[in-house]
Order: sequence, then structure tokens, then C-alpha cells
Amino acid sequence: METILRVSQLTGGYTPRRPVLHGIDFELRAGEMVGLIGLNGAGKSTTIKHILGLMHPHEGDVKVAGVSLQESPQQYRSAFAYVPETPVLFDELTVEEHLRLSAMAYQVPEEQYEQSAASLLEQYQMVPKRKAFASHLSKGMKQKVMIMSALLAAPPLYIIDEPFLGLDPLGIRSLLDQLVEVKRRGAAILMSSHILSTVETYCDRFIVMHQGRIAAQGDLDAIRSAAGMEQRSGSLEDAFYRLVTGGDR
Amino acid sequence: MRGEVSRLAELRQERARAFRKEVLPYLRYMGQSGFPSFLSLLFIASAIGYVQLIRHLPADFPIVPVGVIALTPLLAWSPLRTYLFPADIVFIMPREAEMGEYLSKSLRGSFFKTGWLAAAVFMLYMPIYLQGDANIPAWLLAIGLLLVKGGNMAGACQERRMAWSGIRRISRLLRWTLTALAVAAWLTALWWQAAAFMVLCGLLAWLCCSLPKKQRLNWERLIHEETMTRKRYYAFFGMFIDVPVLAPSVSRRPYLDWIIPRIRYAHSQTFVFLYGASLIRSELGGILVRILLLGGLVCYMAADSQNLAGWAAVFAYVLTGLVYGLQLSGLRAVHCHSVWKHVYPLPEEKQIEQLLRVDRAALIAGLLLLWLPAALPLLIGGLFAPPLAALAAAFLYAATRPARLRRKLRVEADED
Repeated sequence: METILRVSQLTGGYTPRRPVLHGIDFELRAGEMVGLIGLNGAGKSTTIKHILGLMHPHEGDVKVAGVSLQESPQQYRSAFAYVPETPVLFDELTVEEHLRLSAMAYQVPEEQYEQSAASLLEQYQMVPKRKAFASHLSKGMKQKVMIMSALLAAPPLYIIDEPFLGLDPLGIRSLLDQLVEVKRRGAAILMSSHILSTVETYCDRFIVMHQGRIAAQGDLDAIRSAAGMEQRSGSLEDAFYRLVTGGDR
Repeated sequence: MRGEVSRLAELRQERARAFRKEVLPYLRYMGQSGFPSFLSLLFIASAIGYVQLIRHLPADFPIVPVGVIALTPLLAWSPLRTYLFPADIVFIMPREAEMGEYLSKSLRGSFFKTGWLAAAVFMLYMPIYLQGDANIPAWLLAIGLLLVKGGNMAGACQERRMAWSGIRRISRLLRWTLTALAVAAWLTALWWQAAAFMVLCGLLAWLCCSLPKKQRLNWERLIHEETMTRKRYYAFFGMFIDVPVLAPSVSRRPYLDWIIPRIRYAHSQTFVFLYGASLIRSELGGILVRILLLGGLVCYMAADSQNLAGWAAVFAYVLTGLVYGLQLSGLRAVHCHSVWKHVYPLPEEKQIEQLLRVDRAALIAGLLLLWLPAALPLLIGGLFAPPLAALAAAFLYAATRPARLRRKLRVEADED
């Protein structure tokens, strides 16, 4: 399968003297969903910021769809959509206008935008709120706007940071269904979340980060094995606990 | 208990001090920007106009309407600086019963600040008033208007407690209307008639205020009002330097909103769409509309009087146009810290070009709208050179501004 995201030996952080990330190395292939998990401060968000191109690596590089940000900024940025942990919306735009803005930015044909926007608004129960300003939405609704905008862009890679915070149960179900659907169509998804049971159910592989390093990566058996557990014994949560604390519960 | 109350009052003083300390550096930047020179110029021009007006007051000058228009807003306007923050709902709301001294300090502060402003306008108005019928001596008029001011402060406090925002807006409209009527009564009737009418207006306002459902202390309203005041300060200082970004206040403005859906759906229009919507719906758009209305009125009055053979209108036009342009340049700061600027697949150069397109369109529209009231009375009066000169100045400004703004935006982008 085609590699969509390649993070190679990435070392980075907020100041050159004190890197937060140390030699991060992983890749995402088309049609797979990968869970990025770790304790608070493990380096998940910093990794995501490096992928987004908001931070410069001290060492190593990041390639999306085969190019780095320096090689082709436009191709690099067109290749992913991002859903941040805290919804970041433009207060002066309505729900519908956010979708329009995203579609314009990602060059979605107008006809396709109109169809997809109507369907997404319906799926996320946002039709009555489509004319509402972002500043008048609840946190969960704002998160829905972020998710709808990302889905509308239909890029080859989705980077989703803590998508379930504030979402109602129907919203969570819609999002998961849609992630399965975009994955089936060949997109890659990097999802950071603390809801380990959901991550275990929906993700094909896992990257466990701890103190700025990758403590383990691979499918569930690989994670169990890295945690010193037997094959097919225990959940992702059990393995995660052993990896980050070094002991049994 | 007493100690707790005074600690809350001290907290207010501390917050007021912290705010003053926060804005002090911005005042310095404002001082270096040439804005004070512009204000001085405006002051000198207004002073000349004012002295000329009171020396040669036309016989048909509308003394009472001008008095009502000048005094009513300052008497009815009753802001309240509480220095409250959203987090206070968690930390201070449990001590609501002890908030009396905290709020009375705010109330006193607001009364004195707006009172001085009203007094200044009253003093400026007096030479005009005394050239009319002047039924009431100035000192008695001052006492009457002071009572109107006090009534407004009390009324505004009651409005803040009202539970429903629709009722609050109606109540405010009623209070402003009654204030205008009371001021008109003080300027036209005998003192006892005016006083009796004022008492009646006060009773009516009190009755209307006492009917709606009220909260003991409307925390959300007070916090919202404080946030809006801070935003206005930051919007003002934002013209001169980067200031902390607060969530912008948004208004739909239906009279301009129709423009947004008419922006073509295209990748090349992405940031035109974003900045266009921001301009129309943000506080910045509101400020620009107010500048156009006020500037248009000043330009029209200058043009209508044909002062200095029409060149006074050109002067007013150029000044207002510069203020409009200066304020419009704040648009570039609206999304400067947005993560989407970096995430959206649109090169920085194209983002700058699209921002410049919005800036150019807004500038040309504003300058043309301002030109009409400045030029039409002169053209009708047979004066052609001043309006044409104003138009030429506007074209020159609109033609040279994009290059300057582009340079500034590139420097800011490099600094990022």
C-alpha cells in the first residue's frame, strides 16, 4: 500500500536546546487508521504540530504524500485535513460558511461541495444550526464543524487530535462511521485519543508515545509483546498501562 | 465579613491598576504613531469652527435640537467597568452577597468618568444655549441635567439585572427616549415645568424597570459588558501595535451581509471570503460604518456651509479618509494568529494578495461613499475644483496604499 505519511527520525521541540521529541519514526499507509496514544505531555500534540508544519524539526523530516513542506508547501498542505483538540473556528463565519471556506481552500468542486455539505449537516444534526455563528455554538457543535470541514476536504490523510471531546453519542457514532468509510476509500487516519477502548476497536495499528519517544508501535499483538504480555491476552489499555508505568495493574 | 467585603473591593482596585498598567505601553505606541498630531489637528480645526459658530450664530440655528443631540447620548450612556472575568463565575460568584462595595466603586467611577464628559459638552453647548431663549439659568440647567444623569445611571443598573436581553433592549430604548424628552423639556420649558416632566419620565422609567423579571446580579451580563469594553480598547490600540486577541464580537449587519454570498466560489477567493466576512461582521466593520456616518455628516456640514470656498469640506474629507484607512488597516491583524493560515493549502503570497483585494475594495467603497456628501453640495453650488481635488486625493491614496500595505505584510510575515 502507498505510504501517505512518513515521519523519519524526528527530533524536535519548542527550543533547540531541549527537544521534546526524540527520534520519532513511523509511517501511515493508505487505507489504515493509526491510534496515537500516550499520557499528557508524552509528545503527541508536538508530533502533530511537526506533521502540520507548524514547528521545524531539529533533526529528521516529515513527508506527506511523498513531499516535505519545503519541497512543495501547497502539495504538502493539500494532502491532509486537521481536526484540532480544541475547536478553532472563525467567530464571524456561520457553520455553513466554514464548510464553504474549507471547500474553497481545498479546491473541492462547487457541485461536490454543495452535495457533501448538505449530507454532512444532515448526518451531524447540524441543519438547524447551519446559519449560526461559530461563537454561538456549544463546544461539541464546534467540534462537529471541525470534523465536517475535514471530511468535506476529502484529502488522503486525516490528522485528528482528541476528536471525541465534547461530542454527543450520535456525533461520536457518525464520526467513527465516517472514519471507517474514508479509510475504506483509501485515506489514512492518524488519530490521537485517550479513549483507549474506542482506539482499540477502530484502529489498525497503534503508536504508544512516552516521554517524547515511541515506546511501542504496531498492531495490538505487537503492543502486547512490547509490554511483556502474552499474545491475545489483555486489552490495549492493559498493555498501555504496563508500557507507561512499567508494571501490572 | 467586613474584611471579606473590603478584600473584594481591593481586588477591584488591583484589577483596575493591572488594566492601567497593561494599556500604558500601548498608549506610548499610540503617542509615537502620529495619532496625537492628527487629534491636535482635528482639535484645532474643530476649535476654529466652534469659535466661528458661536461668534456668528445664524438666526435660524436649531439650538434645541442640537442641544438634545449633543447632550442625550452623554447623559444616557451609562457604562460600567467592573473588571470582572469569566472565571469569576467560579471564584467570586459564591461571594455574591459581598459584592456591594465592589460594584458601588464601579458605579462611582463610571458616574464620574461619563459625568466629566457630559460636563465638557454642557460647557461647550452653553454659549450656544445662552444665545437662544434660555428660559432657565445655566446653573439650574446643570442641576437638572445632573439629575437626569443620575436617573440614567440608576436605570442602567436595573437594566443590567433584567433576565431577558430583548426586554433589556426595549428598556434601554425607552430610557434613551425619555432622556431625550427630558433634555428637550429642560431646554425649552420653565424650570418647574421641566422638573415636573423629568419626575414623570423618571416615574415611568421606574415603573417599566420594575415590571420585568430580574436577577439579583446578572453575572453573565456584567462579564459580557466588561469583555466588550476591553475589546474596544484593544481594537483601538490594535491600530498601532499588536495587542492581546480576545474572541471577536460578531454582528450580522444585514445591510452589508448580502455581499458575502456574492463572493465567487473559487480557490483564489478563499481569503477574500474569509476577510470579507470578517470585515463586514466584526467590530472593525462597525467602527468603519460609524466613521463613515460621522465623517459623512461632518463632510456634508462643511460642504453645505461652503466654508473656505469648499476647501474646508476637502480638509474634512481627507482627514476622515485617512482615519478610515488607518482603521481599515486593522483588518490585517484579524486572523494573524490563526492556525488555519498555516494549515490551509494556500501560499502566503496569495493570502496577502487576497487580503489586499478586500482592503482595496473596502477602501474605494468607503472613500466614494464619503466623497458623495462632501462633493454633492459643492457641485450643486457650482464649486468644482474642491470636489475634483478630493477625488484626485482619494485616487492617489487608493493607488499607493496596496504597495505600502504589501511591504508591511511581508515584514510581518517574515517576523512570524
